[in-house]
Amino acid sequence: MSVPTDANSTVPEPVEGSVAEADPLVTGEARQREPRWKRLPVIWQLRRSTGLQRGMLIAGMVLCAVFLIAAVFAPLIAPYGFNQLSDAGGNFPRQGAPSAQFWWGTTVGGYDVFSRVVWGAQTAVLTVVLAVALSIFLGIALGLVSGYLGGWLDRILVTIADAIYAFPSLLLAIVVSIMISGGESGFISGILAAAISITVVFVPQYFRVVRAETVRLKAEPFVESARVLGASTPRILSRHVLRNATRSLPLIITLNASEAILTLAGLGFLGFGINPTAASEWGYDLNRAISDVAGGIWWTGVFPGAAIVLLVLGITLVGESLNDLSDPRLRIRRRPKRVPRRTATAMKGAA
Amino acid sequence: MAFSGHRRRAFSAVALTASLALVLASCAETENIDGGGDGGDSGDGGSIAIGTTDVVTSLDPAGSYDNGSFSVQNQVYPFLMNTPYGSPDVEPDIAESAEFTEPTQYTVTLKEGLTFANGNELTSSDVKFTFDRQLEIADPNGPSSLLYNLDSVETPDEQTVVFNLKSEDDQTFPQILSSPVGPIVDEDVFSPTELTPSEDIVEGDAFAGQYAITDYTENELIRYEAFEDYQGLLDAAETDVITAQYFTEETQLKLAVQEGDIDLAFRNLSPTDLGDLREDENVTVHDGPGGEIRYMVFDFNTQPFGAETEDADEEQALAVRQAAADLLDREALSEEIYQGTYTPLYSYVPEGLTGAAEPLLEMYGDGEGGPDAEAAASKLEEAGIETPVELNLQYSPDHYGNSSDEEYAMIESQLESDGLFEVNLQSTLWDTYNAERVEGVYPAYQLGWFPDYSDADNYLSPFFLEENFLVNGYSNQEVNDLILEQASTPDEAEREEMITQAQELVAEDLSTLPYLQGAQVAVSANDIEGVTLDASFKFRYASLTR
Amino acid sequence: MTIADTATPPTAAAGKTSGGGGLGRYILVRFLLIIPTVFILVTLVFFLMRVVGDPISASVGGRLTPDQLNARLAEAGYDRPVLVQYFEYIGQIFTGDFGRTLTDNREISEILVTYGTGTLELVLYSLVVALVVGIPLGRFAAYRRDQIPDALLRIFAILCYATPVFFAALLLKLVFSVWLGWFPLGGRASTSTQLVLDRISGSTGINIIDALRTGRWDLISDVLAHAVLPAVALGLLTAGVFLRLVRTNLIGTLSMDYVDAARSRGVREGRLLRKHAYKPALIPIITVMGMQIALMLGGAILTETAFGWRGLGFQLAQYLGARDFVAVQGIVALLAVIVALTNFAVDVLAALIDPRVRY
Repeated sequence: MSVPTDANSTVPEPVEGSVAEADPLVTGEARQREPRWKRLPVIWQLRRSTGLQRGMLIAGMVLCAVFLIAAVFAPLIAPYGFNQLSDAGGNFPRQGAPSAQFWWGTTVGGYDVFSRVVWGAQTAVLTVVLAVALSIFLGIALGLVSGYLGGWLDRILVTIADAIYAFPSLLLAIVVSIMISGGESGFISGILAAAISITVVFVPQYFRVVRAETVRLKAEPFVESARVLGASTPRILSRHVLRNATRSLPLIITLNASEAILTLAGLGFLGFGINPTAASEWGYDLNRAISDVAGGIWWTGVFPGAAIVLLVLGITLVGESLNDLSDPRLRIRRRPKRVPRRTATAMKGAA
Repeated sequence: MAFSGHRRRAFSAVALTASLALVLASCAETENIDGGGDGGDSGDGGSIAIGTTDVVTSLDPAGSYDNGSFSVQNQVYPFLMNTPYGSPDVEPDIAESAEFTEPTQYTVTLKEGLTFANGNELTSSDVKFTFDRQLEIADPNGPSSLLYNLDSVETPDEQTVVFNLKSEDDQTFPQILSSPVGPIVDEDVFSPTELTPSEDIVEGDAFAGQYAITDYTENELIRYEAFEDYQGLLDAAETDVITAQYFTEETQLKLAVQEGDIDLAFRNLSPTDLGDLREDENVTVHDGPGGEIRYMVFDFNTQPFGAETEDADEEQALAVRQAAADLLDREALSEEIYQGTYTPLYSYVPEGLTGAAEPLLEMYGDGEGGPDAEAAASKLEEAGIETPVELNLQYSPDHYGNSSDEEYAMIESQLESDGLFEVNLQSTLWDTYNAERVEGVYPAYQLGWFPDYSDADNYLSPFFLEENFLVNGYSNQEVNDLILEQASTPDEAEREEMITQAQELVAEDLSTLPYLQGAQVAVSANDIEGVTLDASFKFRYASLTR
Repeated sequence: MTIADTATPPTAAAGKTSGGGGLGRYILVRFLLIIPTVFILVTLVFFLMRVVGDPISASVGGRLTPDQLNARLAEAGYDRPVLVQYFEYIGQIFTGDFGRTLTDNREISEILVTYGTGTLELVLYSLVVALVVGIPLGRFAAYRRDQIPDALLRIFAILCYATPVFFAALLLKLVFSVWLGWFPLGGRASTSTQLVLDRISGSTGINIIDALRTGRWDLISDVLAHAVLPAVALGLLTAGVFLRLVRTNLIGTLSMDYVDAARSRGVREGRLLRKHAYKPALIPIITVMGMQIALMLGGAILTETAFGWRGLGFQLAQYLGARDFVAVQGIVALLAVIVALTNFAVDVLAALIDPRVRY
């Protein structure tokens, strides 16, 4: 599964001399005039957006928010437990059509589809958070070390990263997840396995961006002078790299998050996921829905599938809008008079 | 207007494809494309199309030990011993006679004038070759371990084969000759030392069963033609041509039979689809007993109050197992989850086989097959066990079909009803599962069994002898002796009695708790007749007619 | 699959080593880099697969005693140190022998050929779908930039990416196979067709070509009917990428100076888009298309599984389930070679088009 973006804009290599608002100087100054909360990454971009771009960003944020709320308040929202098979009124029907009692029907296992979808948000969000956190941490650490030290270590790491890059990621995820969970499909082990396997797939991306930035910065004169002044180079590097990478990292993060959801679902679909009594997982539900299709039973598959699509849509919308807003070629320009002069000049220079 | 460019491009793409096709077509013209004439496989009444989702690993009997392969081999290879339609017991197939001439000598006399489809003669040397190569190759995926009792094979003359056995009066040996290790192969086609690729077998036409294979695309398509010189136990094939189509998905199989693309679907239809098909007037569902069983194993060391636990107590451990047996509602599992594709099982030897009894039916639950929570509660109370009993229950989600998830979710809720058990249900993928179950990590766990041959012994020896494949710490001297003794008891009634007795003893101990028996289910178009699903557990295409 | 997430090919290492050399040297170095990539992948698969289990326990583990099982494992040589097995395998590969599958005893090379054609066929169909859908829609979106159609098309592109292939497959089957009954649920051809096609002398294994050679319309239409749903499922995934790409690049070129110049000469926007901006915008698409082919190979695993399309991806999933490591290694090695070669071709192409890529 790839991402429908041309790479140049999706995962921008920190190209030398590219300026625009990503230039720490410009952003720094522009931002200093705003209250702190308005300078937070997403909100900053939201305020700068306009027209359709703003609409898409907001739509994405709303979608994400809905799923976040579903994840956090799942116990309150879902009418039944994710593994509940009966209530006071007796056993739930199997493959029951949507009704007043079961809004979205029941599955072949006798679970309530609506409840499973809501609880599934929890599993998905947890996996995403874990996967993203792990990938960022490892990717940045490795990228810094590799870029800073250079030499044979750097070569080896780059070659390995390229190799992993060329590996069918789902296959890698399957094998890694079997290794990690030892085939045990409980809640914790399932989420961990999915998260770590996604990490393995995604570390090369962070690694590449951070490494390139480190290599570039290492040659900068100010690093040299800082070293003379006695500051430790890794420290300087990490600060500057991180600051510079903030431009592209949010994009990779949203990509990473959507990929995490799709991988989790893919694992679940292929039967390497979490068992249904341990947690609700959309991919698993889709797997079981496959055999319902021939009988025309649509509700067991359509709802969990739609949940996957909508959540990924939400995240990608946010990511894409951020991308567009940071790419001057793609940003919808506001009316000139409202654009601070300085930024306008910078934009022209960049385009 | 913005699309004009694309149209041009698309057109050139089409043009390119078309010209490519023309080039290829022109070279094809000069070649002989057969199959156009006799490939039309429907309509002439002489052919039936079968669909399945089984997977074939190998046409070579030495390299496969699975249902999918064996069901093909059953159609195309002869056996020394085979089961006639409708019976679980074996009779000579391409043999004139077969009997113990000495306690350790089993002598088989072949019929005269047997041949393979390629014209080669089928003689005793082919038979010797067959079994020698099984032992020689001993492929890790093959069935050679079934020949554990075979010492050597002798061929005094062209028609006679003498099997020298290690132990005396082995009553299962005739059955083993009908098992996956038994198909007789052509010594001129097969390699004596290594597995023979399926293509070579088809090319060499090394078949001598009711059918011969004419076209073979592995796991996609097999075309069978009746083998006219088959002289075995079974009748000649009723239908000349059978095509077997291999589906990758149960849903496809279901739709195919429903829409008449195939005439018969055999193995495997999902319970959901089967429920649907039972209500469809255009198809007929055929049910028969199946050899597969599902059971729960208790590890005598690590189960609650097991030998290696802190509060080890044999009596209490037994009470826990019996309480579990009381609580199982097999009817619900069979009907709700499997839609009758599995039927309730109350015995160790399943229904249909000689020696089947139902000791668990009366011993546990309400005595009529249903669950009885009060009986369970009182057993636990008598043994002085505080409820709820904590039980770690394991199953494998990827080895016994998709429905294992539902099956065990339901068993969990059955055991937990009335608060007698507190079940901690976990699932583990098969590789790890199989390794861990042997190490005794799982106090109670799911397993299934498919027989190698249709004999009660195959449901007892592997499980309840002192040395068994479960390694769950169960040992009962009396059971052990009975099982060993029945295996060498020539008198059938006496043997059956022993088998029943052994089952009753195990039912009291509950080393394992059997609960479901797989049914064989075939779905056919209404005009198909002769669907035979019997306790031989071999589905023969030869009896099918339209 | 993330292979093509960035269109910037893995040139980091290549760029460093090529130094000031010319194009020929760059291409050579880039080509040689394929070897370590494939080597690392094969190694990775080898060790990962040993950790997750073995084919013997997977097939007969539930019916043998631990002793019997160990005896079989020993016989197959799986009890030896992994490193020994590894060097043995690598040695084999160097002699060009990929071995035989463990579960069904077939030549790996034969499997690669037999099922590779199936995958190739599917990927080609999908590419056609992707191009036919992606490029015109991308142009349209660029033309109507920042208007409602643009927004809708972009959401469509994201949806293409956000929909897992198996969910797309489920929806397509539900609607077009079960409800409407237009197309078959799966497979590459129906039995009778397959039977005829297999019997053609000199069968290519690519069904549509074989069918065209017979010239029988019933066969051709049967083969095509089977291809429609899988091709759409896999093709849409890529169509989204093409759509985005065409749009972004067109917008990029539209703001170029020479386009501005044309505009100032009074050329209308529609003509600008068609004549001036279109061709340059296609160049990056060509490079990305190479990557997309590699990517589709990955996507083919799920598509083939979902539609029972017997190609490499389908077989890979089967062998993975049976823990047949020899088969998995062989298939992954082939995929790795194809991906690496495609990346190589793309890099060379990029270098030819834009000399700045070579440092």
